[in-house]
Amino acid sequence: MPANLSTALSRIGQYTLIAAIALFIATPMLVIAVFSFDANRFPTIPWGGFSLQWHQAVFEDAMIRDAFLNSLIVGLGTAIIATLLGFAAAYIDYRYMFRGKTLFGLLVAIPPAVPVSILGMAMLAFLSRLGLFGSVEAIIACHVAIATSFAMAIIRLRLGEFSRDLEPAAWNLGASPVATLFTVVVPFCKPALIASFFLSAAVSFDEFLIAWFVGGVNETLPVRILNLLQGQVNPKINAIGTIVLIISVLLVLVAQRFTSVRAGKAASSSS
Amino acid sequence: MTDIEASMPPVKAPATERGLFRARYTASPATMPVMLGLPVLAWQLVFFAAPLVFLIVVTFWKVRSFRLEPDFSFDNWTKIIFSVPFQRALAYTGEVAVLCTALTLIVALPAAYTISFRLSQKLRDLAITFLIVPVFSSYMLRIYAWQIVLSPDGIVNSLIRMAGLDGLPLLGGQFALQVGLLTLTLPVAILILVLAFSGIDRNLVEAAENLGCRRSKVILHVLMPSIRNATFLAGSTAFLMSFGDYISPLFMTGSKPPTLSILIVDTVKSGSQWPRASVIGVIMLAILALVFLLANFLGRDRKIQAGGK
Repeated sequence: MPANLSTALSRIGQYTLIAAIALFIATPMLVIAVFSFDANRFPTIPWGGFSLQWHQAVFEDAMIRDAFLNSLIVGLGTAIIATLLGFAAAYIDYRYMFRGKTLFGLLVAIPPAVPVSILGMAMLAFLSRLGLFGSVEAIIACHVAIATSFAMAIIRLRLGEFSRDLEPAAWNLGASPVATLFTVVVPFCKPALIASFFLSAAVSFDEFLIAWFVGGVNETLPVRILNLLQGQVNPKINAIGTIVLIISVLLVLVAQRFTSVRAGKAASSSS
Repeated sequence: MTDIEASMPPVKAPATERGLFRARYTASPATMPVMLGLPVLAWQLVFFAAPLVFLIVVTFWKVRSFRLEPDFSFDNWTKIIFSVPFQRALAYTGEVAVLCTALTLIVALPAAYTISFRLSQKLRDLAITFLIVPVFSSYMLRIYAWQIVLSPDGIVNSLIRMAGLDGLPLLGGQFALQVGLLTLTLPVAILILVLAFSGIDRNLVEAAENLGCRRSKVILHVLMPSIRNATFLAGSTAFLMSFGDYISPLFMTGSKPPTLSILIVDTVKSGSQWPRASVIGVIMLAILALVFLLANFLGRDRKIQAGGK
């Protein structure tokens, strides 16, 4: 009996831990969303009544509109280029053996592991020597350097399920390597390409420190928020925050929908 | 000749075909990989590797009348290494990151275990989604939300006062800082460990149970050794994220005391002390590289021993 009791207690402890972590992850997001509809200037309890005034104020703020437009351009540009580069990198890793392959892989994979405070400073110092900083294009260029890593990871995972015989079969039937790439490999990778497009957009949409260093006067939305946060308490922040949160959560959810990474499946198939 | 030809076709035809294919394929053997690889290589070299190399170069440069000038002096290095604010920030950042790594692992290991072994397939998928979303969405906003929750007149304190107690100074200390950093590290660490747990062969667990192992023994002798590598990876990732983070120290403790990332941004902002900020950046990168190599080494060590046995 004591064994059963301790098992029961341990189970309760485990489920409590999971519930606590779920609460820990959900709380900040809920707080932002809930208080964006609060009539009070300072977000606290008791709740000051339902109001849409802060959301309205956000849509009337020209700086926020400009920042949103910049974020849209940067996110879209990053998503397109990072997906293309990520596919190229993943295919090369899948198909070819060459000297320096490890180095090539590291060059693509490592950027997200470097703290953005250092990377942002380094990028600004270098790009300003080239006269490339202070533009939306510069932000895209730097975001791509980071997002390509995620794009490559997702697409490489998909290519891992691609039979190694399919391409030689197409070649034997007379298709050129380029035609094979576009008619056989790319269609197979389509879900992964969609996933990496949305994930790259999410990575870019969320990144603020590099955008802040490299963008100059061109603020993206997170940079605008960072600048607002460093000023006084501004109830608009919750309203923009809610919009940003919804967009980035949707981007990630769509991306996840198209990936084949499901730990649950892996676990059940091995049993 | 005719005899040979008559006997050969079935063998020869595919051979010539393969020869043709080879010829076409090797006519420009390097074109495809070069066309695909060159843009990636160039992009990562120009926008990632070159800035970091330049960061190292700049540490030896000098600033004269607010302008960077090429030089070769160790002046910046000695100035930073022997400056007390830097040494304090280094010790503090290290301490914060080690504490955060420990907390992350203490929470993430049992959490990942429960997610992998105690939840139904549906709940497990939901949990994975719940962990992936925060990794890629609005870290800065979530820290701001914690600020609202923990501030002196914030949600938690309002609730405490409603209960008739005195408010707590939640914001501005190690507690708030760790809440912020765990927001960053916990989802990633749990994901790494869940993936590792799901890669374990369930037959091993069953075998151990059939041999009479109790759950605690299974965890200690079967599960933990199997995810040793992932544990070190989760730990070093948590260290890396908390060591380099800029947002949590900024909002949760108001940059007091400053961490190394805060020091970098402040040094860059307050005038053109680029070389000195670069020195701090290079030292941080060196520390992170060492931590990763060490974790990798420790994670692998056992595997080789186990293989040898």
